[in-house]
Amino acid sequence: MSVAQDPFSLSGKRVLVTGASSGIGRQIAITCSQMGAQLVITGRNTERLEATATALHGEGHTAIPADLSQQQGLDLLADQAGALNGVVHAAGISKLVPFRLISKSHLDEIFDSNTYAPLLLTKGLLARKRIASNGSILFISALSSHSGAMATSAYAASKSALLGAMRSLALEVAKQGMRANCIAPGYVRTPMLDGLGQGGGNMDALFDLTPLGMGDPEDVAYASVFYLSDASRWVTRNYFILDGGLSTPMDIYA
Amino acid sequence: MNAPVINPFSLQGKTILVTGASSGLGQHIAIRCAQRGARLVITGRDKARLQATYDQLQGESHVQVQADLTMAEDRDLLVQSVNALDGLVHCAGMQKHCPVRQLSEQLMNDIYRVNFLAPVMLTQSLLQANAIAQQGSILFMLSTAAHIGTRGLGPYSAMKSGLIGIIKCLALEQAKRKIRVNGISPSAIATPMWDVHQQLLEEQKARHPLGLGTPDDVANGAIYLLSDASRWVTGTSLVMDGGAVI
Repeated sequence: MSVAQDPFSLSGKRVLVTGASSGIGRQIAITCSQMGAQLVITGRNTERLEATATALHGEGHTAIPADLSQQQGLDLLADQAGALNGVVHAAGISKLVPFRLISKSHLDEIFDSNTYAPLLLTKGLLARKRIASNGSILFISALSSHSGAMATSAYAASKSALLGAMRSLALEVAKQGMRANCIAPGYVRTPMLDGLGQGGGNMDALFDLTPLGMGDPEDVAYASVFYLSDASRWVTRNYFILDGGLSTPMDIYA
Repeated sequence: MNAPVINPFSLQGKTILVTGASSGLGQHIAIRCAQRGARLVITGRDKARLQATYDQLQGESHVQVQADLTMAEDRDLLVQSVNALDGLVHCAGMQKHCPVRQLSEQLMNDIYRVNFLAPVMLTQSLLQANAIAQQGSILFMLSTAAHIGTRGLGPYSAMKSGLIGIIKCLALEQAKRKIRVNGISPSAIATPMWDVHQQLLEEQKARHPLGLGTPDDVANGAIYLLSDASRWVTGTSLVMDGGAVI
C-alpha cells in the first residue's frame, strides 16, 4: 500500500501542535512528521521548541514560540500559523494543590493554560479561516477529568471543561466538514508527571494501578495520528479514553 | 533523524480472525486488513458468500472456515484451524426490531446466541487453546446501541451493552499477557443488516452531523485498534457516529 492512498497517512496535511517543546506535544509533532505531515509547532521555551524542530522528519516545518496564556501569544500564533488541516492542543500544566489551598490565582493559572488557551486559540484560528474544510481539531484532555485523583481539583476541572466545549464546537463546525474530538490519556511518562512526583505525588503507586503499565508519549501520538488522519473522517464529538486499562475497574461515570 | 519509519498502523505479519466475514462490516474489515498486509482467517455461515469475500482478499495464505458460531462443534472446528492470532474481530451479529412488550422468549434466545453467546464462547475457546498471541488485540463489534436507548432495539442493545461488561473484565484478566480487549461502536452504516429497515436508516441520517458512515470508516477504526498503534488501549470502545453522540 503506497503512502499516498493510506488513510492513516498525514502526507499533504499541515498540522499545528501546541505544547510541542516537551512531553506529549513534542512526541505528537515528531510522530506526525514521520507520518508525512508538515508541522507548525509552538511552545513557550524557545530553546526546547528548537530542539523539537530539529527532531522533526522531512522539510518545511515552522516553529513559532508563543505564550498561549496571554492574548498576545494567541494572536501572534493565529496570525502566523497559516493554512491548517489539523490542530492538536497538547499544551497543558498541572500542579498538585489540595482543595483547601486552592485560590483564584491557582485556578486562573491552570485554566488559562489548559482551558482558555485551547478554546481561544481555536476561536482565533476559526475567525481567521485558518482551518481547512475537513480539518481536524483535537484536544488532549486527561482521564483525571473523570477520575479526579487527590489534589488535582483545578487540573481535573480544567480538563473536563474541554469535553463540553468540544461537543458544542464540533456541532458548530460540522457543516464545514470540520471535526473536533478529545483524547483522555491516563498516566504517561512525561516531564510533567516527573514534576508531580517531585511535588510529593506517589507516582509509582499510580503506575502499578494501570493494567498495561505506564504509557509512552508515542501511544498518545499514534492516537492523535488516527484522529488527524482521514481514517477518522466520520469521527467527531468523540471522547476517547487512552489509559492502558486504568479506568476499566473504575465507574468514572458514577 | 531520517531513519526509515515503521508505520505503526501496519498489519504486516499479523494473523487476524474475522467472524461474520461473509457480508457487511465483517467482509469489509477482512478485505481492508488483507490490504494492509494481514493474513486473514475468515468465517461465516454462508459458504458462497464467504468464498466471495475470500476471493477479494489481497495476498496469500488466507484461510476460510465455514461455521455457525452459535454451535459449539463449529466453534471447536474453527479453533482447531487457527493458532497464534494477533487479532480477533467479532463482527457476526444480528439485529431485530422488536418493542419489549412484543418480545418472545424465542427471539431473545436467538439474539442472545448470535450477538453474545457466540463471540464470548469463541473467545473463551481461543484463550483456552492459547491461540491468541501476547500483545494480541481482541475487538468486539458493538454499536452505539450499546450506549444509548433506541425504541424497539431492546434485545440488541442489551446484548451489545452486555459485551461491554465482558470487554472490561476480559481486559483486566488478559492485561498480564498484554492482550488488549476493546469494542468499536458504530452508529448506522448502510450494510445488508439494514436492508429491511430502509426507512429507519433514512431517519438515522438526520441525527448525524457528518451524515451516515461507510464500512470503510469502521474498517479504519478497526485497523487502528488491531495495529500496534493502539498497544496501550484496552477496556474501552471507540465510538464512530459522525457526531450523533452517545
